[in-house]
Amino acid sequence: MRKLVVLAFKEVLVAFRDVGALLTMLATPLALTLVMMAAFGSGSNSNPISDIPVLLLNQDAGTFGQALTDIFFSASVGDLVTPTLVEDEAAARARVNADEVAALVVIPEDFSARVFPFGVRAQTLTGVDVTTLAPDATLTPEQQAGFAQAFMESQSPSEPVVVEIYASPDWRISALIVKAIVSQGLERLNIQIAGTTTIVTRLMAGMLQAGQSDADVAAAMRAMQPGAAGQEAAGGADVELPIKLITTSATGRGFSWLGYYATSMAVLFLMFAVTAGGRTLLAERQRGTLPRLLISPTPALTILLGKMGGIVLTGVLQMLILWGTTALIGAYWGHPGGVLLTIVLLVICASSVGALISAWARTPGQASAIGSAVTLIGGALSGSFFVRWNLPQWVQVFSLVTPNAWGIEILSRLQAGRAPSAILPWLGGMILLTILYYGVALVGFRRQFK
Amino acid sequence: MNTAALVEVQNLYKRYAPDAPYAVDDVSFEIHTGELFSLLGPNGAGKTTTISMISTLLKPTGGAVRVDGHDAQRDPMAVRRVIGVAPQELALYDDLSAHENLRFWGEMRGLHGAELAQEIAEKLALMELTDRAKDRVGTFSGGMKRRLNLAVALLGHPKLLILDEPTVAIDPQSRRYILDWVKKLRAQGVTILYTTHYMEEAQELSDRIGIIDHGKLIALGTLDELIPLVGQHETLRLQLLQEHGGAELAAALPALDGVIAASATDGEVLVNVTSTEATLAAVIGAATGLGLSVRTIEIREPNLEAVFLYLTGRALRD
Repeated sequence: MRKLVVLAFKEVLVAFRDVGALLTMLATPLALTLVMMAAFGSGSNSNPISDIPVLLLNQDAGTFGQALTDIFFSASVGDLVTPTLVEDEAAARARVNADEVAALVVIPEDFSARVFPFGVRAQTLTGVDVTTLAPDATLTPEQQAGFAQAFMESQSPSEPVVVEIYASPDWRISALIVKAIVSQGLERLNIQIAGTTTIVTRLMAGMLQAGQSDADVAAAMRAMQPGAAGQEAAGGADVELPIKLITTSATGRGFSWLGYYATSMAVLFLMFAVTAGGRTLLAERQRGTLPRLLISPTPALTILLGKMGGIVLTGVLQMLILWGTTALIGAYWGHPGGVLLTIVLLVICASSVGALISAWARTPGQASAIGSAVTLIGGALSGSFFVRWNLPQWVQVFSLVTPNAWGIEILSRLQAGRAPSAILPWLGGMILLTILYYGVALVGFRRQFK
Repeated sequence: MNTAALVEVQNLYKRYAPDAPYAVDDVSFEIHTGELFSLLGPNGAGKTTTISMISTLLKPTGGAVRVDGHDAQRDPMAVRRVIGVAPQELALYDDLSAHENLRFWGEMRGLHGAELAQEIAEKLALMELTDRAKDRVGTFSGGMKRRLNLAVALLGHPKLLILDEPTVAIDPQSRRYILDWVKKLRAQGVTILYTTHYMEEAQELSDRIGIIDHGKLIALGTLDELIPLVGQHETLRLQLLQEHGGAELAAALPALDGVIAASATDGEVLVNVTSTEATLAAVIGAATGLGLSVRTIEIREPNLEAVFLYLTGRALRD
C-alpha cells in the first residue's frame, strides 16, 4: 500500500511540475470558459431547436390570456414548439416533473383584468371590447358614460400579475425558448394595449368637448396606462405591462451558459490530461524507468495501480481546482456532495480511456495522436463545443461511449439543481463504461507485460 | 573473493519470436560472491538480453538463472530483493530532484524512514551530488545523471550489482570517475556484473570476463586465461591514408601466410598475425597492391581485442 501511495504521489508531483501539462489541465479550460462566457453571456440565452413539447394552462377568462396562448399556435413558432392546452394544473406540473414536456406556462385567472383593468371594466359596463375600437369610431352617449365610469373605477394593480413558466431542469435550452416566446407574446400585448390606449385617448378628447372636467379626464387617462404599477418583469423579460414573468422548476435552477461551459470545458481538458497521463506509461517504458520499476521488488499490479492512481489523483485535483476557480466567477456546479462524487467517478472513467490507449498503442507518439483525436472527437460528439441538447438524438446516444458525455449529462443535472440521488442511475452507467474500458485495457496490459 | 556462486546461469536461451534467431544462445556461467564479472561484446551481442533475464525483466526461452539461491523464474521477487541494477538508459525522472529520485527509488526497494534518509545522504555524498541534491535531474549533465543512475542501483545494499554499459555516452572525466568508483566497490567486496563493449574497461576492472558474440558465450575466464587463446600472436594496427578500402584489404589479408584474421573499422585495419617480422612486409605490400597507403603501423601485445579478433574474425567495434 505504501508503494502504491508513493507511486501515485510521484505521478502527481511530475504532472504538476510540467508547465505544459498545467497549461492543458488548468489554464486552457479556464481561458476557454471565459471566452465562451464572453460570447454567450453568463446567464441565459436561446438556441434553435424544434418541436418543444409545452403545456399551456390558461385560467384567464379575458381576451389577453387567449391572445397569449394563441402565440404558441401561430405560424411563426409552429416548428419550434408543440403546444398543448391543459386544464389540470397538478397533472401538468407532474408531467413537467417527469420530464415529459419542457415547460408549463400558467396564465392566472385574473390576467386580463390586471393587465388592462380599464378595458375589462369598460366591457363589463358597456359591452364594448375597447381593444377592437376603430380610431374613427363613434361612441353612443351610453358608451361614453360607461367609459367615463370605467375610468373612475379602474384601479391599477398594486402587485404585478405573475405568468409562470414551470420548466423541466432536463429541458434547459427548451425552457429558455418557451420563455422567449412568452416574452414575445407579452410584447405583442403591450403593443395592442398601447394602441388601444391611443384610440381611447382620442375619444376622450371628444368627451372633453362634450363637457367633462379636465381633472376627470386626466385621472382616467392615468388609470388607463397599463404600466401604472411601475413593475418591470423579472427573469429577463423587459415589458411595460404590470406582469411578472417567472421561470420556476422543481429544482429551482435554470440553464446558465457559464455553468455549462465551465463544466464541459473542465471535462474536455480532463480528458486531455488523463489521456496524456496514460501516455506516460509508454514514455516510462521508452526511457527505462518502467523496466527499472519492474525489476524492483514491487509487484507489477502495484506499479500499474499506483500509476493509474496517480493519474486519477491528478485528474481529481485538476477538476477541484477548476470547480473552485470557475465558482469564483459565478459558475454553479451543483450539490457539492454530488459534484464531488461525480468528479471522482468521472476521473476514474476518463482514466480508463487513457489506460485503454496506453495499453494498445505501441509508442508514446502513437498514444499522443490517438489520445488527442479521441479527446477532440469525444468532446465534439458529447457537447463540449456545442450545447449537447442541440445535437441530434442519435449523436447524443452514441456519444455515451465517451466519458465526456456522461460527465456533461450528470454535471448538467446537478447544475439544474437535481439532488445527488437523482444522478445515481447516470453514475451507474458511467461505472459500467469504466469497467468495460478497464477490462479491455487489462487485456492490452497483459499482452504488454507478458 | 568467495568461491560460492552468487549467480548461476545455466544453458540460457532467449528469442523474441518463434521464428527469430536466438538473441542469447546456450549461455552458461557463474559469478562468485565478491567477484567483478564482465560480459564483453559488441553492440547487439546479447549482453543486455542476458542481464535482463538475470534481473527477471525478461523470461528465458530456455535454461535457468539462480541468484543467491533463488530461481529467477519461480521466485522473481526474491531475486529482485538482492539485486541492484543500473540500466544502460538513464532511468530517472527529470522533473524530480536528485534527492526525490533517490527517495522514490528507495521506497520502491522497500526502504523508508531514517534508514532511507541515511542511504540517500550516503549515496549523494558517494556520487558527489550532495550540493545538487535539490536540483531537478533535467538540469544535470550526462555524467551527473549517470552517477545518479548508479547511486539508485546501490540503494538497499544489493548483494549483486548489475551495471549495464555504465560509461556509454559520457565525457572522459566522468568515465574515469565511474571506473574508479567501480574499483572501490569491488575492493569493498561487492559482487558486480558489468557489461561493456569497451575492451579496455573489461581488461582494467574484471576478475573474470565472458566474451559474448551473436548471443553465444565464446570465451570465459580471467584475463590471464583468455590472452593465451591467441597464442604468441600479435596484432598489427594499420591506419590508412584513405577513408575507404580498409574492408577490401581486411578481406584480402587472410590469404597471406602468417595472417590469422583481419578486420577493418573507421580507416583502421586490425591484423592478427603469427609473427610481425614474418608478415609485416607482405601486409604492406598487399595494401600497396590495392592502391592504399599506410599512414602508421602499431604493433600491439596480445589483449582482449586480439582475443576477440582471433575468436570471431572481427574487431570488437564491428
